[in-house]
Amino acid sequence: MNAEPITYATLPEVMIYQAALTIQDGELVFHGYGSPVPTLAMLLAKRTHASHMVHIEGATYGINPEPPFLPPTSNDWSLEQGSVMAIGISDLFDIAARGDMGRMFLSGVQVDRHGNLNVTAIGDPDTPRVKLPGSGGGCNLSGDVQHITIWTTGHRALTHKAGKRQFRFVQHIDFISSIGHVSRDGISRQALGLRGGGPDWVVTELGVFDFDPVTHVLRLRALYPDTSVQDVLDNTEFEPVIASEVSIVPLPTPEHVALIRRFDPLRTHQREFKSTDLSRCFDL
Amino acid sequence: MAVFTSENKRMLLAEAASIVQDGMTIAIGGGLSWREPMALLRELVRQGRRNLHAVGTAHGVDVDLLCGAGVIDIIEESYVGFEQDFGMAPNFRRACESGRVQVLDTCCHTIIQQLRAAEYGVPFLPVRSVQGTDFLRLHPEYKTMTCPFTDLPLVLVPALAPDVAIIHAQYGDAQGNLKILPPLVADLFFIRASKHVIASVEKIVSTDELRSMEPNVPYFWVESVVEAPYGAHPTSCYPFYAYDRAHLTDYYHAAQAGPESFMNEYLAPYVFRPATHGEYLSLIGGAAKLQELESWKDSDDAWRTLFTAPEGAIA
Repeated sequence: MNAEPITYATLPEVMIYQAALTIQDGELVFHGYGSPVPTLAMLLAKRTHASHMVHIEGATYGINPEPPFLPPTSNDWSLEQGSVMAIGISDLFDIAARGDMGRMFLSGVQVDRHGNLNVTAIGDPDTPRVKLPGSGGGCNLSGDVQHITIWTTGHRALTHKAGKRQFRFVQHIDFISSIGHVSRDGISRQALGLRGGGPDWVVTELGVFDFDPVTHVLRLRALYPDTSVQDVLDNTEFEPVIASEVSIVPLPTPEHVALIRRFDPLRTHQREFKSTDLSRCFDL
Repeated sequence: MAVFTSENKRMLLAEAASIVQDGMTIAIGGGLSWREPMALLRELVRQGRRNLHAVGTAHGVDVDLLCGAGVIDIIEESYVGFEQDFGMAPNFRRACESGRVQVLDTCCHTIIQQLRAAEYGVPFLPVRSVQGTDFLRLHPEYKTMTCPFTDLPLVLVPALAPDVAIIHAQYGDAQGNLKILPPLVADLFFIRASKHVIASVEKIVSTDELRSMEPNVPYFWVESVVEAPYGAHPTSCYPFYAYDRAHLTDYYHAAQAGPESFMNEYLAPYVFRPATHGEYLSLIGGAAKLQELESWKDSDDAWRTLFTAPEGAIA
């Protein structure tokens, strides 16, 4: 084992820690496949502040796994190692449908002000300009789960050659794959008869957000030591709410970082990040 | 769901694949990079099957291959991609973006409810979710109603009985009893809802031996069983073998480079050229390659190494 002292955390590791902090002890928690950031957040939370959480693995549906490493594909036996057993696909979705799933992690290529997410298509869904892979179980789970943590590693808008900016946090969402607080027609999730409170946390590489309790609009709560309110405003197409007190996110301890590095020796989680974010480091 | 009572359902890949006819709705077993019936799917491509409608949950190289070969017209899956491995699925994207296939994305619980309705012999099942999303716009066949018991708004999704479930299992017997090891993904739902089930297996064993493994699919649902060792390659089929990352890397690059490159560098050498499944196994690297893919069980280090396979490593 590498016994070198841990003196810094990378931005991805700090972000994984923020995602872990959204998990409450005793919750039944699920992440989708292809989601190493939430997978590591769940592995971390269960071994720190939330030892009674139930970890259901993203594609194998193994319960409380102890994986030797995170592979880049989710339906792999390595992600079932250490589980006492796995449940089946209908068990998983039935747990959510009857209201017993406490938290789920979801992401999107487009995110709107109310936490609606698009992972289906950019442009007209019948003739998409970009066909995205699809929502997996996200559409159903977004309406059935008690709490949702949204995460994305692509908050920073891209600038194309012609100077056109491509936002991830968009004014207009092309397709609602999973529902946030309010539908396209302005109907609240309660009026739609959906379960739970919808997304309560949004963790990005620029900051940590929740939603304004009255307007249900994305609200900035905390920044990283190297990001600013202006960074958030510049990279969000709509106008987010800024909390009256914006804090700096808590940094993980060396023990937290050691756990993340132990579970992900292949650094699979880094594949989610741009190289400029991989080089962001914070002294512990 | 018909009942198939033949004592001996062993078939060749070509015979089993011919049960799938042009225009049918197929449900492909396994998911992502795990236990997908690739040998049977390659045979469908070789036989020139057309206009299929694919339904299912989260898939990868299987659906992408069928898209690249022009076999599918309608895609009703919840996800098609390569996750953290390679990201988006190139042939699937091209097929959807060119309008060559009809995009009918679905969601895992929705499709399970539709399959369960077929399994239960009822015309539909309700779901609470889906409301507020644009899947309602994509699927006019879903209906909404106010629940007569609770006054809650609900979405009704119609029963879905695929024409053929195409499954790869670890073990089977000649009669068609199967033992599928988890993750089962949606296989059992496909099997119970579909009109026909064709299966390939890593190994055909005696009924006595299969009984000791506690089989999970009874023979009378299964129309054909084909012994095809490594029949899920390049996806994984534990406990036999891990997925072939090097092969998938080359697959991805051939697909990413465009339809012509995919035809010349992938379909021609790996689907059309080998006359038999045995020849295919030689072409992908033969015994040395298979031994490497089986090495996952030697140690965690050996297993982990299989996920760092060098790029461009097809023999």
